[in-house]
Amino acid sequence: MAYAYLFKYIIIGDTGVGKSCLLLQFTDKRFQPVHDLTIGVEFGARMITIDGKQIKLQIWDTAGQESFRSITRSYYRGAAGALLVYDITRRDTFNHLTTWLEDARQHSNSNMVIMLIGNKSDLESRREVKKEEGEAFAREHGLIFMETSAKTASNVEEAFINTAKEIYEKIQEGVFDINNEANGIKIGPQHAATNSTLSGGQGGQQAGGGCC
Amino acid sequence: MGGQSAGTQPSGVETIQKLCDRVASSTLLEDRRDAVRALKSLSKKYRMEVGSQAMEHLVRILQSDRSDSEILGYALDTLYNIICNEEEEEQDDGQRRQEDDVGVQFADKFIQDQENVTLLLSLLEEFDFHVRWPGVKLLTALLKCQCAQVQGIILISPMGVSRLMDLLADSREVIRNDGLLLLQQLTKGNAAIQKIVAFENAFERLLDIITEEGTSDGGIVVEDCLLLLLNLLKNNSSNQNFFKEGSFIQRMKQWFQLGEESGGGWSAQKVTNLHLMLQLVRVMVSPVNSPGATASCQKSMFQCGLLQQLCTILMATGVPADILTETINTVSEVIRGSQVNQDYFASVNAPSNPPRPAIVVLLMSMVNERQPFVLRCAVLYCFQCFLYKNHKGQAEIVSTLLPSTIDAQSISAGQLLCGGLFSADSLSNWCASVALAHALHDNSNQKEQLLRVQLATSLGKPPISLLQQCTNILSQGSKVQTRVGLLMLLCTWISNCPIAVTHFLHNQENVPFLTAQISENLGEDERLVQGLCALLLGICIYYNDNSLENYTKEKLKQLIEKRIGKENFVEKLGFITKHELYSRAAQKPQPTFSTPEHMLFDHEFTKLVKELEGVITKAVHKSSEEEKKEEEVKKTLEQHDSIVTQYKELIREQDAQITELKEQVSALVCQKEQMDNTITQQQSQIQQHKDQYNILKLKLGKDGAVSQADVQVNGVQLEELTALRLELEELRTQHTLLQTQLTEKDTLINSLKAEAAQSAERPAPASENTELLKEVESLRVQVQSQQDEISQLQSERQELQRRTQTVSGSSSDGESAKLRELEKRLTTQTTETHRLQEELRTHSESRTQLEKELAAANSTVVILQTEKTKLQQEVGESKKEQDDLLMLLADQDQKILFLKQKLKDLGEPIEDEDDLDARDQSDEEDDDEEEEDDE
Repeated sequence: MAYAYLFKYIIIGDTGVGKSCLLLQFTDKRFQPVHDLTIGVEFGARMITIDGKQIKLQIWDTAGQESFRSITRSYYRGAAGALLVYDITRRDTFNHLTTWLEDARQHSNSNMVIMLIGNKSDLESRREVKKEEGEAFAREHGLIFMETSAKTASNVEEAFINTAKEIYEKIQEGVFDINNEANGIKIGPQHAATNSTLSGGQGGQQAGGGCC
Repeated sequence: MGGQSAGTQPSGVETIQKLCDRVASSTLLEDRRDAVRALKSLSKKYRMEVGSQAMEHLVRILQSDRSDSEILGYALDTLYNIICNEEEEEQDDGQRRQEDDVGVQFADKFIQDQENVTLLLSLLEEFDFHVRWPGVKLLTALLKCQCAQVQGIILISPMGVSRLMDLLADSREVIRNDGLLLLQQLTKGNAAIQKIVAFENAFERLLDIITEEGTSDGGIVVEDCLLLLLNLLKNNSSNQNFFKEGSFIQRMKQWFQLGEESGGGWSAQKVTNLHLMLQLVRVMVSPVNSPGATASCQKSMFQCGLLQQLCTILMATGVPADILTETINTVSEVIRGSQVNQDYFASVNAPSNPPRPAIVVLLMSMVNERQPFVLRCAVLYCFQCFLYKNHKGQAEIVSTLLPSTIDAQSISAGQLLCGGLFSADSLSNWCASVALAHALHDNSNQKEQLLRVQLATSLGKPPISLLQQCTNILSQGSKVQTRVGLLMLLCTWISNCPIAVTHFLHNQENVPFLTAQISENLGEDERLVQGLCALLLGICIYYNDNSLENYTKEKLKQLIEKRIGKENFVEKLGFITKHELYSRAAQKPQPTFSTPEHMLFDHEFTKLVKELEGVITKAVHKSSEEEKKEEEVKKTLEQHDSIVTQYKELIREQDAQITELKEQVSALVCQKEQMDNTITQQQSQIQQHKDQYNILKLKLGKDGAVSQADVQVNGVQLEELTALRLELEELRTQHTLLQTQLTEKDTLINSLKAEAAQSAERPAPASENTELLKEVESLRVQVQSQQDEISQLQSERQELQRRTQTVSGSSSDGESAKLRELEKRLTTQTTETHRLQEELRTHSESRTQLEKELAAANSTVVILQTEKTKLQQEVGESKKEQDDLLMLLADQDQKILFLKQKLKDLGEPIEDEDDLDARDQSDEEDDDEEEEDDE
């Protein structure tokens, strides 16, 4: 259960693009063809390893419906990463990306890593959005891009892990203030202890609080 | 002053009106501030008046006087006073309700404009204590009055909930504590807000505060934190999952590390805190949660030692009964249905001498009349949870009653249960019956085992079976509670167990007793017993294997029809589910009863009733004819079965044959595969050979091409040749240039001649002039010859070029030789030109008049010279390249020889194949012919 870092993610995008299925595939390694509409927000978690370090991902899967938009906005601020999902078989979900992105940029902290995901890549015959279009959108807005299939699990693991890698790199570069939990990043218990011994007397107090 | 003495009421209204006017119209901040302060002081006494007249003005102050924290504070306080319902003063209910209505009315008025709530939220960002604190209180009061509406507004205002979460980080304790109360109201019954609050790290913050405040020893702040936690977790599976995943269960463990305390060390606050802490544990493992979620929480509670800690409290001394009861309930739910936790619980011993299992100690309390009722219920619940889906535990409990394993030395669970079953206390009877029934649920093995149990009665009499004893007590007509308990035990026992049914029917008195009970017209109290008796009789029919002559299914049904009547029987059966307490018990597993008398139904038993009621009704209603029909159907089915068996046999035989054939086929397939493999291998070998030949052939083709100096095959050589051609082209143009220059010179000389002729008329230099003329003439001849040579060269070069294009090995040699010759001639030409120039110069020296013209000619010749030098160099270069080319040709010649040798070594058949291939490709035809020629 011990982890070096804890990252908070949110999953956003239009209703029915497969956000909950992506989460289920990532946390439970299974696919549920019929899924109820997400009400508000649902939670899932999993441990991953990056660079030999245990990293805990806490993921909030938001409702895509417009009526929940004001609720889901409350989750942007505290997240370190966001998976912005569209459905490659529905062009309208791709067209709405700009709105989602504006919303995310407006309410999140500026360092939030956003991964653009074109889901349902298994439905090639019904494809409406070309892979190149997704890539172009991502390039234009400085996002990472991937096409996934929650059904076949293709790239699902990679999507979550690559986002974590990006965050991890930003931490290494010192872009993220890891002591501010509002950024959606938390240092693990033992790590906090070693950090505080390094920083000296003042940090000792923090370690005391963090350990218990 | 006079107005005031006349009566307070009108004066109050007037004063308030005046103050409102001042607030509205005064331009001076001080004035407004004083007025709002005065309104605040009047707001409690004249709540109604201030509320109805001043609210708009106060809201305007909040909007416009943002810069002055003092006036904001007064305004917020005033609003708080008119909206909040004071709880301190004791009033009679009527007045209280009226006051509540006033608060709700004003809250309504305030939130009518959503902007007001948004405004209040933004004021909470103000750090100033005078603003923030009353702001928090006002918002709390609004939430208390109009919870859902205010929640809705906060939820949709951007970052609304997050901002309120920041209150927990305020260093001023008053604000943090009131923030807790605010969040309690905010999270009430709103899952969306609960989740956002959890997302904003509420669990961490709250657990930190609880630790800082001294956990259960902490004051009311700990209680507030716990209440908020309960709000966040209760019925919110998403937050529960987050709580578990965030490893917060592990942090709960320390709450239950209670120091060694003296008997009186339990303050009321501590009891409250611990009670809430236990409730929080129960929320995480509640039987109403999804089984998967509960199971994983149970697992981590065992892994982190929380269960162990709770069991320590269970066995500790001096724990208040209230806490002990709740701890038992908590342990129950932590172990319910979890094999690992149940096993651990079975191994827990009480610190007594000798040590006794905790289960035994708890059961002792259950069958002890002096223990509190709720505690006894809790123990029963604990025992049920211990046996829930626990076949191992069930076997252990039953085995303590079996003759072979009975241990006379110590008290066993079985002994305690039997003691309870037959004690004089009906509550003990009921509890023991239900507990024993739980040892039999879904476990036909233990149902049979329990039939073996014999009880020793008074001395001299033979032992009596447990089943017999139960029916005996039943027939003795004891209290309803006792009989209900025993009937539930019997129903559970014999259902789905034909042997037990036979045992039960074997006692001749049982069936008459049951029919008598059901058929009698008894009072209200006895209806439930009648219903249960009907159920028991029904089970005897439904699970009857017809092994007893007198009590076959058929005979029992006839009995019902004769003695009770089918309709009557079914109606009596229905009494069970129609009982008012039945549905309550069906709701949840925990036995909770308002009074001991209400303790009648067990949760698991209600499930059994639901299952059996329908099938028994059907079984009883079925007529004997129908039964016969069924029998016939069964017979035909059996006939069919025999036919089917024959066919099955046939199929089996065929199956065997098929298997045999299949094996053969697979063996053949195997062989075929092997053959295929060898074929493929051989094919690939052939292919390899072919490839090798092709490679060699290709190499040969290249070499052949080069051997003829056919540069087309070799790209590099082609390039070189092109370069050469270009150079030749250049040379040609330069020659043309040279020619034209020479023509110019000719004309120049001609003009000079004319001048010389003119000058010849003068006497002195005439002889010289003729000489000069002669020389010029000779020069012209020379130039003419040069020109000829040049044209010859040109033609030669053209020939060379042509030859280069048609290309032949021998011609390249000739070409280079010609080039060399050409070069030589050019050199001679240049030297001759030099000479010519020098001669011209001497002429010009002697003939000053011609000097200028000659100088012009001279410069032209210099240009010509440099150009010639250039030409010479270029020709040299081309010669070099030609040499290189020659070298390369020699090399490749050697290579070809070598390759030819190799080919010869490889043998004749290869050559043939090669030729065949070659004929297909017309491009290569020439090459091949060449090869053949070479050979």
